[in-house]
Amino acid sequence: MNIQETTQQRLSELFKAIGVDTGENRLASDQSTDGQEQETPPRLPGIIEMNYAEKGFHLDVLIEQEQLLRAAEIMFDLGYFLESITGVDWIKEDLLEAVYDFSRYDFNLCRVAVRVFIPRLAPHLPTITGVYTGANWHERETHDFFGIVFDGHPHLIPLLLPEDADFHPLLKDFKA
Amino acid sequence: MSEPIELQQDETFVLNLGPQHPATHGVLRVKLTMDGEYIYNAETVLGYIHRMHEKMAENRTYPQYMPNMGRLDYLSALSFNHGYALVVERAAAIEVPERAEYIRVITVELNRISSHLVWLGAFVLDLGGFTPLMYCFDDREQILDLLESVTGSRLTYCYFRFGGLYNDIDETFIAGTKSFIKRMRKELKMYAKLVTGNVILMKRLKGHGRVDRDMCLRYGATGPVARGSGINYDVRRNEPYSVYPELDFEVPVYDDGDSFARYLVRMDEMEQSLRIIEQALEKLPDGPVNPEKKPKLIKPPPGDYYAAVETARGNFGIRLVSDGTKNAYRLKLRSPTYSNMHLFDEACRGMLLADALAFMGSLDLVIPEMDR
Amino acid sequence: MGTQDIPATLDSVPSSFVQFALADKLINLCRANSLWPLTFGIACCAIEMMATGAARFDLSRFGAEVFRPSARQSDVMIVAGTISHKMAPGIKTLYDQMPEPKWVIALGNCAISGGPFVYEGQYGIVEGADKIIPVDVFVPGCPPRPEGLIEGIIELEHKITGWRRWPKVKPEWQDAP
Repeated sequence: MNIQETTQQRLSELFKAIGVDTGENRLASDQSTDGQEQETPPRLPGIIEMNYAEKGFHLDVLIEQEQLLRAAEIMFDLGYFLESITGVDWIKEDLLEAVYDFSRYDFNLCRVAVRVFIPRLAPHLPTITGVYTGANWHERETHDFFGIVFDGHPHLIPLLLPEDADFHPLLKDFKA
Repeated sequence: MSEPIELQQDETFVLNLGPQHPATHGVLRVKLTMDGEYIYNAETVLGYIHRMHEKMAENRTYPQYMPNMGRLDYLSALSFNHGYALVVERAAAIEVPERAEYIRVITVELNRISSHLVWLGAFVLDLGGFTPLMYCFDDREQILDLLESVTGSRLTYCYFRFGGLYNDIDETFIAGTKSFIKRMRKELKMYAKLVTGNVILMKRLKGHGRVDRDMCLRYGATGPVARGSGINYDVRRNEPYSVYPELDFEVPVYDDGDSFARYLVRMDEMEQSLRIIEQALEKLPDGPVNPEKKPKLIKPPPGDYYAAVETARGNFGIRLVSDGTKNAYRLKLRSPTYSNMHLFDEACRGMLLADALAFMGSLDLVIPEMDR
Repeated sequence: MGTQDIPATLDSVPSSFVQFALADKLINLCRANSLWPLTFGIACCAIEMMATGAARFDLSRFGAEVFRPSARQSDVMIVAGTISHKMAPGIKTLYDQMPEPKWVIALGNCAISGGPFVYEGQYGIVEGADKIIPVDVFVPGCPPRPEGLIEGIIELEHKITGWRRWPKVKPEWQDAP
């Protein structure tokens, strides 16, 4: 069994209750409806296998907020390292997305993107600094740029922006 | 991990290292809590050269954003060019001619050597040796001459285009590169005598600044920092892109995890880069350097795209979120030194201040790339 | 920003009311030919500044190679890079720490006007070093070539002494048809 299947298997334990979604790309369906459905993103939590040559990563995992810590633990267990954490502001859907990129040191190439959607007005996520110490700066950066609050983070003060910064520049409605 | 500083002893004091400090190679600031000469706690403060690269990606079209890549990491600008070109080519499904791929590899590897040369000069300067800096910059100027003749600039290259290159290389460049390889082989032997065998250097580096495998994993360190800690990870090998699979080269790995191991990794990498250039020059095919069919306006279909390259400092990843327009919806730049520097806070605890500076130098920092 | 409020120090220097013309000239000549720049690189231009000081371009030919790490020992500040809002107070402090007489060279487009990082709605950078400190010489380029920085230093010497010691070379392209 290669690492991609192992990862899929281990991560699927998160979705036992919900069932794995093999629907099409969320963004593609967004385009067709032109942002009409604003309440819920059309894609359900689950794992999608991506075409690596086309997309550049292998597994696209959508999880719920409360599954994040468990997902990070599984990834750490499987020997993945955290590449980056970033946000995306979906202002039309009134959602913020946090993307966690994982990759491997060994020759079993498998890139995993773990996504979480959170409401734009109260963006809260649990911190994963307990699992990946290196998430510290990435979370601070995401807090700087998007205002996502990482609950339990040891030192959530601006990192890249000035120390007294109270703005989140990468939000789409940000005006300097 | 940077926790709020709680003074445990009466003897500690806070020392500000930077933002203007010659050993931080830019405007990095480290808030050190010192117990005498020993570091009790360290907290890195970034952002003194935050230049809004990610926001600019949302305001500019894809080709307009290419010059930013040269300014992101000015020492290995071409690797960053390559990363960005890869992700956009992947997203917009643009084919790259083979000759262009080979030229990309040649120029990127030349750039990698020049980056390592600046690092070597500045690193030894940090340790108190002035002479190697002069030799390194002299060698680097040879590379800059070569690259200037094809790219048009000395430092902040904007040479790659989506699907190809700005222009083709000529015979003068090839001849110049070949003679440079000969020269550099000799110079590397000279560096080995002048620097590597130096007793003072060994005493400053060996056994200091240990970073183990577990720490690399927790922080996501890549590049020479990871390879100095026994992790055989090089994007060129692990996730082959461009024509690297067709070229024969080794990935130097050292197990010690100290500053000296990282030093050796970079010295060996220069040699390997010379090998890569040599082979690529031999295999260089004829043909165009730009694709015949290329979209006038680049509008990738909506979706997420990812690409990673190995820069001189490690794994540089780009996540591109496209919404189908001519600007990126979101562009995340995953820069290697950001993660590499992060482990400094933990690893430097209990070190002498002077050793910590040697350790910092061995991480090879480029601050604008960290702050983005 | 308060720099402009600082009273001109020349008022308190005796030479402003008692003229030692020849001595002044001599002192200025000495100053101009042994400028001590501050080791202060911010971004890309700093590498070109290093290259200027290193083997091929050899800034010491013009007496300006003694880079001092401390602002208190230097008399030229080469602002080599983009100034972010976070860094701006630091640069002002460094400038204030430098002893009089002092000069500033803005190296590169970022230090001149913000360079490529200026766009509508930018939130992070100061658009030009002259917004926070007085600048004597501007050297354009992104980054400027080392020759550019050398020319900037010669220009600064010109400004200090009032005459140019080095000949001006006519650009080649002027002769081209």
